Amino acid sequence: MPSALALRSAHAPACSAAEPPPARPDAGEWTDAAVLAGTTAIADGALKAAAAAIDGGTYPLDIMARLGAAGALGVHLDRFGARFGLAVAAMQAASRSCGATGFLMWCHDVCGLYLEQSGNPALSGAVLDDHAAGRTFGGTALSNPMKAFAGIEPILLRARRVPGGYRVSGMLPWVSHIGPGQYCGAIAGVTGAGDTISHEIMFRLDCDRAELKPCPHFSGMEGTSTWGVRLDDVFFGQDDIIADPARPFIGRIRGAFILLQCGMGLGVAEGSLDDMLAVEEALGHVNQYLDDRPETIAAELAELRARVMRLAETPYDGAPDYLIDVLDARAQVSELALRASQSALLHQGARGYLMSAAPQRRIREAHFVAIVTPAVKHLRREMARLSQEILPTGSLEGGGP
Amino acid sequence: MSLLEPTDGLGPWNQFLCRACGLIYDEGEGDPDSGLPPGTRFADIPEDWACPICGVTKSDFEPYQRRAPVAPASIPAAPQRRASVVIVGGGISGWSVAEAIRAENATIPITLVTACDGSLYHKPELSVALGRGLSPDALRRETGAAATERLGVRLMADTVAVGLSPERHSLRTTRGTLRYTHLVLAHGARPALPSSLDPALCWRVNDLAAWSGLHDELARGPRTVAVIGAGMVGCEMAEDLARAGHTVTLLGAATLPLPDLLPEPAARRLLAGLQGVGVRYQGDSLVRGLSRRPDGGLTITLADGTSLAAVTVIAATGLAAPSRLVRSAGLAFDHGIAVDPTTLRTSGPDIFALGDCISIEGRPCRFIEPIGRQAAVIAHTILGRVHPGYAHAAPVIRLKTRSAPIALHGAPVAGSPWHVVEESEHRLAMEQRHDGAVTAWLAA
Repeated sequence: MPSALALRSAHAPACSAAEPPPARPDAGEWTDAAVLAGTTAIADGALKAAAAAIDGGTYPLDIMARLGAAGALGVHLDRFGARFGLAVAAMQAASRSCGATGFLMWCHDVCGLYLEQSGNPALSGAVLDDHAAGRTFGGTALSNPMKAFAGIEPILLRARRVPGGYRVSGMLPWVSHIGPGQYCGAIAGVTGAGDTISHEIMFRLDCDRAELKPCPHFSGMEGTSTWGVRLDDVFFGQDDIIADPARPFIGRIRGAFILLQCGMGLGVAEGSLDDMLAVEEALGHVNQYLDDRPETIAAELAELRARVMRLAETPYDGAPDYLIDVLDARAQVSELALRASQSALLHQGARGYLMSAAPQRRIREAHFVAIVTPAVKHLRREMARLSQEILPTGSLEGGGP
Repeated sequence: MSLLEPTDGLGPWNQFLCRACGLIYDEGEGDPDSGLPPGTRFADIPEDWACPICGVTKSDFEPYQRRAPVAPASIPAAPQRRASVVIVGGGISGWSVAEAIRAENATIPITLVTACDGSLYHKPELSVALGRGLSPDALRRETGAAATERLGVRLMADTVAVGLSPERHSLRTTRGTLRYTHLVLAHGARPALPSSLDPALCWRVNDLAAWSGLHDELARGPRTVAVIGAGMVGCEMAEDLARAGHTVTLLGAATLPLPDLLPEPAARRLLAGLQGVGVRYQGDSLVRGLSRRPDGGLTITLADGTSLAAVTVIAATGLAAPSRLVRSAGLAFDHGIAVDPTTLRTSGPDIFALGDCISIEGRPCRFIEPIGRQAAVIAHTILGRVHPGYAHAAPVIRLKTRSAPIALHGAPVAGSPWHVVEESEHRLAMEQRHDGAVTAWLAA
């Protein structure tokens, strides 16, 4: 059930006109230790208690607001020190209790990234302050364009240049962490003469100007407020533009975008490890015959997490080798979450198979981690592409001088 | 934890395990949700009580004895029980290891991971194949599928090794993660292209696939070709292209070709030979840029401000071993994967390397001759057989320029003086000496 916060408009002031505008959170309060402790307290308390309900459809905007106040949604931004490692750690702590909320944090985090990196004063001032502190909420609609840029599917939103901006039409399926009063970053192909796409633009899409269509039910993680978004000739002006053209912008933030996702899978794997250890005393004498025992998962988790943290030190490194390292880590996170969650269910047996039990929920969360864009198959395809040597592709016919 | 201390004289609280779902009933905690207050002894539970999780009845519970935790398996990091070898690289080095293992052992599982299609071919032929009119099919000695059949190897073609976890003996590839007991890195080196050269505009000939692309382009008829780089491959390619009927300019950074390897008299013979087959050598030329003209041809811009037109450009600017895979796994890398000179072990456990991707004491050695011996050492070690070990020796270098063939023996040192031993119209012999002993000699 959406909380009242969901109904607050993204543009409505958070306080009445008589009060001073909300101050930018003092980065001094968001020390690494404080952010992690605050996030962990929320994760182990209210979030853990709500995990089954969120899985079933409760959109936890109240908890997201608390995470935002604790700094868990803003520390990756340049204005708060670009602490990507801390952002991943916070996402991991939340995902350890609830994978769906970890996903919402990622959606929110990258939306903040778009707003800040846009350099657009209309998006990177008070709008971003509210977003970073979890006073307003917004997600990301880049699944389709990311796949379009990788040559996997055609781009779905089309933009037409008009005086002062663009008019955008089209339908996007599965956009998460949006709703009335919320927003997301979206990309549209700009069509010129003959319906060919000259380039793409990226813009802040205010959900109140779009038609939100309910999605069919998913098998889990239903509390992510995921909608189909239809735009019918909607105008977006300069104040909404995140990047024009969009491709260089996406190229710049792609590593950071993908790296942040690692927090989700690390958390699901860590939660699965908790589930295994919870039954170790009672069932260890038979569980010792299973593959992927807790010490195996713990060792891989520790090594992988350390690698992710190293990569998080240079999120904007544009070298192909760095990007392959990020893609490799992201793929391994998916594989580890899958193996750990399956093993957790095998460790717990029937108890973990109960509809109220965490292991069966984590199995679905881990599969989500592995199929959300970029899915394991996309990651592998992209790593193969980036590893290929670029060679000439045909030149002049015949000899010539 | 039970909050209440027992006062009924029946001893400490006991626990009972649900045999169906694993729930533990703790007498001290009771089951308040079902009306059993804390401190309810199991014997006092009504018979109609049901397990709060799975619903089975009291009779399905058994006394629970706390167990000592099961000690972790002694070596959790290497769960692989059966030996299996993974080879990365489908060139001569990778296939040589597969063959060397199979020569001694018919059953150990071998998986060969290669970014190409796994065809077997003799790489040195690539720089002399155009002049001989060979096609890609003629160069391919065996398809990967046929070699797979012959050797009983699992081939993962068009698959890139992207990540390595040495402690877990696990290799991540673009087609899944592989466990191994022994890993052999034989992925070779890649062309090192200066940043001034757009990779989409110039060919590099380091494997059969790239050569095939170049072959297709040149098959359309004689054309103007520029070869950038006058090292061994550049000189051989330039002559080969000229013999195939193309108009060839060879661009070298120094006044004469092969300056690092050859003394001036030998380099002059080489130059004369190349010119004799029609190659135009342009020395002292540093390339600053490469661009496509509106007419589709290419322009090479030189440091002195002049430029050169060509329809096809080939860069022969050297090789470099890729480092990402091994560096991110924490393996030692020094101009190549650092290996022990005798065992060819890398710094990672049960990981070996050979061929173009390795360096011995910081020096790569990119020749064919040592590969067979390297493969034999690795195969014997993997199979636990005795082997005297690899003894690295500088291979004989043969320049495959038929116009002026040159053979170099020993360990030539660049910058060290060469002495003429014999010089006639048909033959030049020179040598380098150190402390009175001949350390290198050449015949041209």
